Amino acid sequence: MRNNKLFKLLIVFMSTILLCGCWDIKDINKRSIPLVMGISKEDDEEYKLTLQIPIPKNDDQISRIVTGRGETVASVLGQIRTNSEDAVDFSQIRLIVIQKNLAKNPQELRDLIKFLMGSEDIPSRALVALTDDDVENVLSNINDKLGVHASSIYDYFNKGAGWVPEIFSITIWEVYRSLYSYTKDIAVPVVRSGKDTVLKFKGAAILKKGKIIETISPDECQLVNVFRNNNEKGRIESLGFASIIVTNSSIKNKTSMKNNKPTVSSNLRLKIYILERKEGITNKRIRKELEKLTEKRFYRLLKRTQGSQTDIFGFGQQFHQQISYHELKDWRNDYYPKLKVNFQVHANME
Amino acid sequence: MRDIVKEIESKFSNHDDLFIEEELVGKTTIYFIGFNTLVDLTKSKLYVQQMAASSSSVKALFINLSDQVGVDIEQILKAILEGKLVIVSKGDAENAIVDPIAQNLNRSIEEPKNESPIQASINAFGDDITINVGLIRKRLSTERLCHCSYQVGELDKRRLSMLYIKGRAPNILIEKANQQLKQIKSDIETIDDLNKQFGQRILSPVSHLSPTELPIQAIHSLKKNRIVLFMDNYPFALVFPNLIWDMFSTENDRNFPFVLTFMLRLFRVIGAVATVVLPALYVALVSVNPGIFRTDLALFVAKSREGIPLSAFLETILMVVIVDLILEAINRLPKSVGPSITMVGGIILGQAMVEAKLVSNLLVIVITAVVIASSAVVGIQNSLYIRLLKYPILVLASFFGILGVWTGFILTVIYLASLTSDDIPYLTFNIKQEGDTK
Repeated sequence: MRNNKLFKLLIVFMSTILLCGCWDIKDINKRSIPLVMGISKEDDEEYKLTLQIPIPKNDDQISRIVTGRGETVASVLGQIRTNSEDAVDFSQIRLIVIQKNLAKNPQELRDLIKFLMGSEDIPSRALVALTDDDVENVLSNINDKLGVHASSIYDYFNKGAGWVPEIFSITIWEVYRSLYSYTKDIAVPVVRSGKDTVLKFKGAAILKKGKIIETISPDECQLVNVFRNNNEKGRIESLGFASIIVTNSSIKNKTSMKNNKPTVSSNLRLKIYILERKEGITNKRIRKELEKLTEKRFYRLLKRTQGSQTDIFGFGQQFHQQISYHELKDWRNDYYPKLKVNFQVHANME
Repeated sequence: MRDIVKEIESKFSNHDDLFIEEELVGKTTIYFIGFNTLVDLTKSKLYVQQMAASSSSVKALFINLSDQVGVDIEQILKAILEGKLVIVSKGDAENAIVDPIAQNLNRSIEEPKNESPIQASINAFGDDITINVGLIRKRLSTERLCHCSYQVGELDKRRLSMLYIKGRAPNILIEKANQQLKQIKSDIETIDDLNKQFGQRILSPVSHLSPTELPIQAIHSLKKNRIVLFMDNYPFALVFPNLIWDMFSTENDRNFPFVLTFMLRLFRVIGAVATVVLPALYVALVSVNPGIFRTDLALFVAKSREGIPLSAFLETILMVVIVDLILEAINRLPKSVGPSITMVGGIILGQAMVEAKLVSNLLVIVITAVVIASSAVVGIQNSLYIRLLKYPILVLASFFGILGVWTGFILTVIYLASLTSDDIPYLTFNIKQEGDTK
């Protein structure tokens, strides 16, 4: 009798082996893996979703563009799922490009970010970018360029420090976090489809609670990046009479509160290497000019952002200890405009 | 006392290799009785004649030859079966059991066949139990090395020896093992028969005993407070209890500088883990959780699997089974045919299956890595059981993906941790020195 039971158990076990992965499990080659998702709005009514799906069949990876329209992003996703030949697996989405016309309405953008964050299919580590262009153009641009991989758009944002210090990469969760942060606003990179390259970096848009306040240039982006503790290594600066490359950088911030007035003293140390210079230009002059230029650029940006009450540098983050939690709510309106920053740049020759 | 000879003759009437030779020593006729398959009669006769020349009487000769003089018929029969030479004097009560010059049925001390020590002594245990114990005694000359011998079995009395170092091996362990060996009723033919005596482990791939061919390894185990068993006519020392660390270390590693020893052992651990986890990880990543891959890798994997009709699990289990079949087939075949199977297997599996798009080339790489990794552990029995452990994890992985892989891995570890031999857990790293020195 006992033997019989064992035999039955064996049969059950054997059948599980044969049935393994026969219901909802799809092999990777049976899935469509979109890498980039474009979201735009047409006629202020319908959402248009564009997916860039690489076709792995060929040796030179090309990709196809799939679009869908619907009232909500979720419904479009479902629609694309239904119509797609393979099962669509959104887990590899690495970049979400949002057209700027959608971003005009803060409430809609906030809802979109919340949806993307909450959706289990779409990874919250996907990067976000804005574009003025038609999203479809940006995504389909990739197939027109020679020698470009399907994953190029994603690679574009991942060149890393040391190569392109001004490029931003902002993930969905960072944008989501900034929606609820009292003390930090976020800059989202803005791109266009390029003529020769797939993308063209146009700077960054400052988002304050889902509202685009203003756009900053790539030069200013790089300054913001420095305050996000990213290394400035690889930055090339042209001073007119000389051009230099930054080989290393570090920043130190000191905060203090006096009479309810926040003060930050920042020290940016740059190590530079002179690439070219006109005759008779001394090292000292180059250094002084660079320091002056960087400081000027910073104060200009600070003034602008203080005017619009958006703390793009995240200075408020450093006052969490000095200001009580209840008062932090008013950081943007009360404290930030009064903030004094003592920004000093020290450039050193290598 | 002619009737003893008669009785022996009638008892062994079905044994054609029994000899009863008459011989005249002085004035007395004596009979040599024994098996000519076990006793070298000519040489033994010569030996007895030489002894007879220096002995005054037959009685003195018998005493000179042996200390077992005038024994009863039972013992004589047993002695004949054991390959002894029995001498009986005609019409007299005198008899003696003599250690003869035996037919050489053992090979000499040879190199190990199952293990390949590098930069080490290459003497290996042989078939004879006394030689095996002697090999240990020679290398470990201390009075604390104790030797208990047993004769167990129903049909055939098999000789067993238990060696331990007094004061090193825990007393409780020695007592328990002693009890268990004494209680053996059935015949001991294989290690598994002996293994069962230490507590039945139904369906368990892990043995209580860890066989080793090398005296150095056996001595090291003795010094590490463990017991070493020998079976007659079995060229391995059986270390009891078997511990997991045996899989990763041999004493010969220590012939290298510490860093190299560490490296070797680390590789073995990596090999064992890779064998268990890699095929399952492949299935999990390719079919259940591709989201974990980096983008480039995901695209690459998708491309490599393009057009393959089998699901990842079927593909993997197919390859894993075929590879295990090949490994077994190589074992079974004569040495001259083995390499051709390797070649055919390698070419057919590696090349043709990939070109026919039956399995992805990525899987072939994974499987090759697994086969190599599984061979890195010490001892073929360990390699075999590690190869077995990968199957349940593979099945779990195909259901639950990464979660299944790690659940399976943890369950495996829990299972291994639950194993004990005589209350010593399998996952023990060091047995405490608990024995009395006195």
